[in-house]
Amino acid sequence: MDNEAPHINVTQLSVAYGDQWVLKDVSMTVPGGQVLAVIGPSGCGKSTLLRVFNRLVDRVAGVHIKGQVRVGDFEVIGDHVDLVELRQKVGMVFQHPNPFPFSVFDNVAYGPRLQGIKNSTRLRILVENSLKQASLWDEVRGKLRRPASSLSGGQQQRLCIARALAVSPQVLLMDEPTSALDPLSTAKIEELVLTLKGQYTVILVTHNLQQAARVSDFTAFFREGHLVELGPTKEVFTTPRQLATEEFLTGRYE
Amino acid sequence: MKGSTWHGVAVVGSLLTAVLFGILLGDLVWQGLPQMSLGFLWRTPSELTSFGGIGPELLNTLVMVGAASAITIPLGLAAAILRVEYGARPGFLLVFDRMRYTLLSLPTIVVGLMVYEWFIVGLRWPLSVGAGVIALAVVNWPFVVDVSVAALKGVPDSFREASLALGGTKYLTLLRVVLPSALSALVSGLGMAIARLMGESAVLIFTAGINVSRHWGWSAPGETLAVHLWYLRTESVAPHADAQAAATGVVLLLLVGLVLYLTQKLAHWLKPMDA
Repeated sequence: MDNEAPHINVTQLSVAYGDQWVLKDVSMTVPGGQVLAVIGPSGCGKSTLLRVFNRLVDRVAGVHIKGQVRVGDFEVIGDHVDLVELRQKVGMVFQHPNPFPFSVFDNVAYGPRLQGIKNSTRLRILVENSLKQASLWDEVRGKLRRPASSLSGGQQQRLCIARALAVSPQVLLMDEPTSALDPLSTAKIEELVLTLKGQYTVILVTHNLQQAARVSDFTAFFREGHLVELGPTKEVFTTPRQLATEEFLTGRYE
Repeated sequence: MKGSTWHGVAVVGSLLTAVLFGILLGDLVWQGLPQMSLGFLWRTPSELTSFGGIGPELLNTLVMVGAASAITIPLGLAAAILRVEYGARPGFLLVFDRMRYTLLSLPTIVVGLMVYEWFIVGLRWPLSVGAGVIALAVVNWPFVVDVSVAALKGVPDSFREASLALGGTKYLTLLRVVLPSALSALVSGLGMAIARLMGESAVLIFTAGINVSRHWGWSAPGETLAVHLWYLRTESVAPHADAQAAATGVVLLLLVGLVLYLTQKLAHWLKPMDA
């Protein structure tokens, strides 16, 4: 039961930086093991939403969160949440590949080592499995001692995915993971997202509408901090219920 | 102006600096040559003969700069960590930075007066190695903090985010990502701070004195190379005092050069894997 990808329930979530509300009364459910694409114009609150799920939003001074977020049975919002436990459950991949200035191996082993795993055989198995899952193993086997920075941008991003997977999360947050990559690397990451589906609940923030259409099961459209529409991707893209969604999808809204 | 023009200006500037430094060094070596011998490095200074050396001054320089660094580096680094990694409250940051800039721009001779007032007059310490160490520590402190703050700020925030997102606590993130990534810049900056401290003289004249004792001790007078150099050129009546001053200058320059060379080498070796 513990390994099953959890549902995510959001109830009346509002988030403010100082007195500026960037997310307003958002309620939604993401079914377990599915890929949810979050789309919307810049500044609509989608990155903030992502950072609420692993509470990385706490790093911003003066942030207020109201409402409830649950990942499986785990309460995300509150003063006494164990952030380490939460972040082991909910992994994240960032917009720009951000490998540590270490070797490929040490990058992937970083998370497990944080948890106190020192046994070298166990670490090697974990690293190999994570790299395989991130479809990077074939490209880096035998080069695990090389600096992560010697990899290409697309490989670095898959390394970051492997690094996140090595902690065995149940949820994977992806914040525009391909916006800094070329089309070929983008295609590889999209393929990878499709293979991760089922095992992980994936939330993918993207500016690339085709990408949302290609990889996601559900799509959520945000505007000015409000959740305008959430539904199966096919429906949202072919028969949107809201005019605003249609305008955004057809490029009539900026 | 075009980029190539600026490049030319930079090349001419560097050449000019190198030539000027070469002339200065050459002049010092030429002047100091009659006094230079291995024995000069360990003999005690003499007012009456031209056979004086700089042994005690060399020892004092090394011990005092070493002790002052040993006190200030851990404390300064800790303050910088508090400022960059934990100083979330804006009021704290403001006060901290203002104090840092004030201390940085304080003339060292004023620091010398302060330490003189408190320790020599107030606590009745002798002009000594110990008082000199305190004075050097006060001078060095803001520089160590500054270098450490710069090194920590040089670590991309994306490293911290990545570590936190993997379930790292703030402390483990600092220990396993931030400090290793900052180490190279830290060593190189601290090397410069130490080298600077070796040439410090104003703060020591009031506090460590312009004498040495035959018997080294924390409460014995603690003239350093830089102070000795100043003394030889202004007060000394020893024969060939100018040549001795030049030779002392050469030794001091070599020492500073050695510190800079070694720390830069170490910094290069410690560079994180992305550079």
